[in-house]
Amino acid sequence: MIGDIRMKRSFTDLVLRPNAFFAGLMGEKESVKIPALILLVSGIIGAATAYVVSGPSAKMMAGLMPGIETIIMLTAVPVALIGVYLFWVIWTGVFYGLSYLFKGNGTFKRTLEVVGYGSLPQILGSLLTLVISMLYIPRVVAPQLTNAAAENPQMIQDAVNALKNNPAMMEYNQIVSIVSILFIVWSANYWIFGLKYARNISLRDAAVCVCVPVVGMILIVLYTLIVM
Amino acid sequence: MKNKLTYLSIFLCLLIIAATGAVNAYATTDSLTAAGKVYVSKITYDPAVFFTDDTGTVTVEVTNGNTDLGVVVNHATLSDKNIQLKSGSYDSTSNIGPGKTYTFTFTIAAISPEGTYYPTFSLSFRDAESLFYRPSVQVDNTPLKLTVSEKPDAFAQSKKKTVTVQVANPRKNDVRNVILEITGDGVTVTPSKIYIGGLAAGTDSTVNFSVTPDQPTTLVLTLHYDNGYNSHTVATDLPIVFGVDKKQATPIVSNIQVKSDAGIYHVTGDVNNAGLETANAVTVTSLAPAIPEDPYRTYVVGALKPDDFGSFEVTFSAENSARVPLQLSYKDADGNVYTSEQDVKITALPSSSQKSGNLPVLPIVAAVIIIGVFIGGWVFYLRRNKK
Repeated sequence: MIGDIRMKRSFTDLVLRPNAFFAGLMGEKESVKIPALILLVSGIIGAATAYVVSGPSAKMMAGLMPGIETIIMLTAVPVALIGVYLFWVIWTGVFYGLSYLFKGNGTFKRTLEVVGYGSLPQILGSLLTLVISMLYIPRVVAPQLTNAAAENPQMIQDAVNALKNNPAMMEYNQIVSIVSILFIVWSANYWIFGLKYARNISLRDAAVCVCVPVVGMILIVLYTLIVM
Repeated sequence: MKNKLTYLSIFLCLLIIAATGAVNAYATTDSLTAAGKVYVSKITYDPAVFFTDDTGTVTVEVTNGNTDLGVVVNHATLSDKNIQLKSGSYDSTSNIGPGKTYTFTFTIAAISPEGTYYPTFSLSFRDAESLFYRPSVQVDNTPLKLTVSEKPDAFAQSKKKTVTVQVANPRKNDVRNVILEITGDGVTVTPSKIYIGGLAAGTDSTVNFSVTPDQPTTLVLTLHYDNGYNSHTVATDLPIVFGVDKKQATPIVSNIQVKSDAGIYHVTGDVNNAGLETANAVTVTSLAPAIPEDPYRTYVVGALKPDDFGSFEVTFSAENSARVPLQLSYKDADGNVYTSEQDVKITALPSSSQKSGNLPVLPIVAAVIIIGVFIGGWVFYLRRNKK
């Protein structure tokens, strides 16, 4: 009960006073349990989103092999869940590595912990993405491939292009991209404060360590959007 | 003197012959009894019912009901002021054996108006009084009925339509060799003559024929038939008027979406049948200036029932064109092909090749603003904290 109250107060601090939150966190024992739970919630919502989003692709491939529709949709769920944890580790690794340039010190586990806490806005972002997916994906009309198409790569390519160029799908991709950029920037603010304490570097150095990969990430998202 | 004797001899001979005949024609009790058992066993008219001025036959069968005596008849005739005898009487002597039937056939003409008449058949016996019989015969001028039972609401030039006609026989007798002949100027009728054959009294027959008019005209439907040996006709007109069939299938294209990939435009949409008849073999294709391309040069939607709809996709290339006509065609139940065109704007969605030059502006602007606020905010925050 006491732990719950402390967690509630801590989450409020994280959202409103991240500097104080992470300063206080440094006085506690390193633990990734709560960050892992935050990412689990985000991952479950993300998995639900992946299930919805994989629908048109699964429908497109349904004619190629019996049961492939279910396989695709069920595969998307664990991939999305694992992906959340994978990105947690990758972000942490990047921040940890960059902070070396600024002579940062502090354990990887502590960095992992602060990045996990900083991912709290991703829960809201995942929820919003799920709602958008449920609104847009049913409007996507997926072309259906037949057995004959399996022997013709051009037909498969045409079908994939048709799916990508579907107006609803294009609009969905653009909206989801903006949402993901918005929430990753929100998380980045927390990561800067967290990294400052986790790696014992200045706020300016922490901002550089976070801003560079985050802006890079945003550019990749934009590039993907343009190329698609 | 010699001549006088010769004339006298001839006269005596004739007198003897005449006297002998008078003795033979003399009615005895037996001959009268035998004649009383002679009766008219059957009367047959052909046709059974006459039109006025029809010619036909009446067959009278006379049976000798005696088992052991024959009768000799020497005259038979049929007479009536309304029924004209055209074949003459039977004037030769004939013997009708015991139990035998003798047939007398007369050709007659019904020169009277409609009604029932009773011509008199008389049969003279050599050794008895004559037999008289009055068989009834009907004269009825009711013709066969010709009714157009089904036809399209309107005809169109060079479009084949089916017409259904009912031929009914309201007469009391059967008619033979019923033939429907359809004629008209500037129109092709298939078949133009339809043989129906015999039509029994009180029955009807339905026939179909197709009409392909080149111009508005009037079809003349003539029904030829034989009443006995007499040919009769009855005719009716069928105006061929051009117009729009109110029930015809009306496919409408909607929900059109255009996208392009590597210079090939993909147009998808729905075809709804807003008419009251089925649109068969509905196809969609693109017309010039578009050039149909694989995989969907022409899309076959198939049959669309009223209120039904089907999706289509056509692919084509088009250069320097903002609009491309789509042609929609279908067939009606008679196989006529109907076409309609609808222009489609082909600037709706960029192709993938064009995308690099046509960026999604809104997401980029939004992303730049977010990055700007993010970095600018931190720069401002760091400077303020530094001070």
